[in-house]
Amino acid sequence: MLTDMDGKCHIESIGIKIPDERMTTRDLTAKIKIPGIEKFGLLTGIQERRVCSGNEDSFSLACDAATDCLAHSKYKADELDLIICCSITRYKNGLSHLYEPSFSLLIKKVIEAHKATTFDISNACAGMLTGVYIAENLFRRGTIRTCMIVSGEYISNLYDHALKNIRTPLSSEMSSLTVGDCGAAVILEKVAEDAEGLILSGFRTLGHLSGLCTGGQNKRSPGGYMKTKSIQIHKTSVINCLPVVRDALESNGLTFDMIDYLIPHQTSRSSIISGAIKLSDSEGKKPGNLVVNLRDTGNTASTTHFLALYMYLNDKRFHVGDRVMLLCFASGLVIGVVIFRMNEIVYRYGNKN
Amino acid sequence: MGTKISMVSVSKLHSRLHAGNSISLSAHVVKESLFISRIAPSEIGLLINTGIYRYRNTGEPSIASLIQRKVIPLQRKLSKEDEAAANRNIFSFDLSNGGCGWLSAIEIIDGFIQTGQIHHGLVVTADSEPFPGFSENYNFRPAAAAIILSGNGTAGGFMHFRTYSFPGFSEEFTGATRFGRLKGRWGKRNILVIRERETFAENCVGCALTSLNSFFNETGYSLKDIDLIIPSQCPEGFLRGIMERSGFSDKFVVVSDTSNKVLHTAGPAFALNDSWNDNRFRSSGNILFLTVGSGITVSIALYKNYSS
Repeated sequence: MLTDMDGKCHIESIGIKIPDERMTTRDLTAKIKIPGIEKFGLLTGIQERRVCSGNEDSFSLACDAATDCLAHSKYKADELDLIICCSITRYKNGLSHLYEPSFSLLIKKVIEAHKATTFDISNACAGMLTGVYIAENLFRRGTIRTCMIVSGEYISNLYDHALKNIRTPLSSEMSSLTVGDCGAAVILEKVAEDAEGLILSGFRTLGHLSGLCTGGQNKRSPGGYMKTKSIQIHKTSVINCLPVVRDALESNGLTFDMIDYLIPHQTSRSSIISGAIKLSDSEGKKPGNLVVNLRDTGNTASTTHFLALYMYLNDKRFHVGDRVMLLCFASGLVIGVVIFRMNEIVYRYGNKN
Repeated sequence: MGTKISMVSVSKLHSRLHAGNSISLSAHVVKESLFISRIAPSEIGLLINTGIYRYRNTGEPSIASLIQRKVIPLQRKLSKEDEAAANRNIFSFDLSNGGCGWLSAIEIIDGFIQTGQIHHGLVVTADSEPFPGFSENYNFRPAAAAIILSGNGTAGGFMHFRTYSFPGFSEEFTGATRFGRLKGRWGKRNILVIRERETFAENCVGCALTSLNSFFNETGYSLKDIDLIIPSQCPEGFLRGIMERSGFSDKFVVVSDTSNKVLHTAGPAFALNDSWNDNRFRSSGNILFLTVGSGITVSIALYKNYSS
């Protein structure tokens, strides 16, 4: 399914909340006795990740990210028309998973977004970009003028289950050790017809591959579990994303070297780099920069793209006019591409040039 | 161009074996709806699951993708290549908005049809006890419903989607897990706990009436213009209350059910199915969809039926 747009909305602000508590890869892997585990940090590129402590959970991370996003925005909470919460984990009050009412409604209550309509969606690590995909259609129809997409991921509780079950380096729960906690929020706003907005392309679910990464709540212990066929999911994701990226570029008159920053879903350094090489080989051209943002935060599930954007914005690496491609892979198997140009948002994060 | 209902299909629990399997129930109704409407799975551009209580508390992938996985290869005998090709046209995800999720998903699909991005969309919803017997106060009937929506060149179809929320009542109904011991069971585990305050149904009625007033003020319609109302079937006491207080009890579709359990997210689809089968839906001009759920959230939409 392809969408062909002129650009009706763009990213107005981004907010992030990462917990203060740190968990280093060395400390985490020291609890496992399997050969080669000492190379885990080198292979994944993850030195540490942030983990919830005290009263922090998915809900508090999402609320804090929403507040931070509003602090960077020209909009006030009561000017938001829609709030979509995209968390995979909906932990509130510790490890109690809330199914209803919706997280988005409770976030609306906390930030006092009185007139916002709300609903939650769930689409694994593609959650926030799925939220963008839905919101863009509502912008296109003129239903909304502003929208907040928010997610809070308290996934560090996966460690407990993984540490008990990892017996070999090829364990399906090894990927549980790459994750870290984070909350992210983004405000999208309507832009003029002639302005360049978000380009969304190729969003699809390859349902026959939905068994490659599964997760849920544990039956007999608090928190959750995640099982991933890492090698298979990486291979199939890259193979299936090649035509999607080509389609996205061609249908918008772009080539791969016109992308200044490629931000794939942040899983591990080795898989991001090998995937980018395959993409570059396939296109015959390279993007300007490949973003690997794992060192201090790990894989933060649905929030990875916006965490990377936020960190690069705060590091003042983006300039107005830079073209960014967000590439999403998620269990399902979900693939999609978002392309946009950096705008005045860079000034709101301190860039004076 | 209007977004029309092409098919609605419902299923209640047939076997105790499927008591906790919302995915099997969903796949069953999706296959049935596609078969009857003669639409190939690959023609569905968007598939949204709006069920809340799911098989084994699955977190990822989306339940919608797991339903997609069951539906595509079984609909036709496909080779692996054809199966992959059929999947390439579909985008699926889960949407959760209490008892209003079903109508929220219809609004999203209507948007994609109106903008020409898809021709057909499917909303499926099912609730089942995640681990049968390991819940507190779970009283929802295992049931599933699927509705296929299609673009149509003629006027009519869905319009005027509105959602009203009343966050002051957010504690009135909650569904969440807790880790602990269930009375009469050995050992601790994650238990689904449903908490419903006694005032919830009454407040749902009040919120629904307030929302209806706002809806009619905004759209210029009145309750007299409405021929048929497809409402949520829960919480218990909601239908009785709203029928009494609105003064138009004959317009509401009530699903007759002899079991002592209630229909949750599939409730309005069951009401639609009943009115579809006894021809009330086709013979009505203006049909109002009225859903209510935790939050408290109320979603309303109008469906114009020009064939009447």
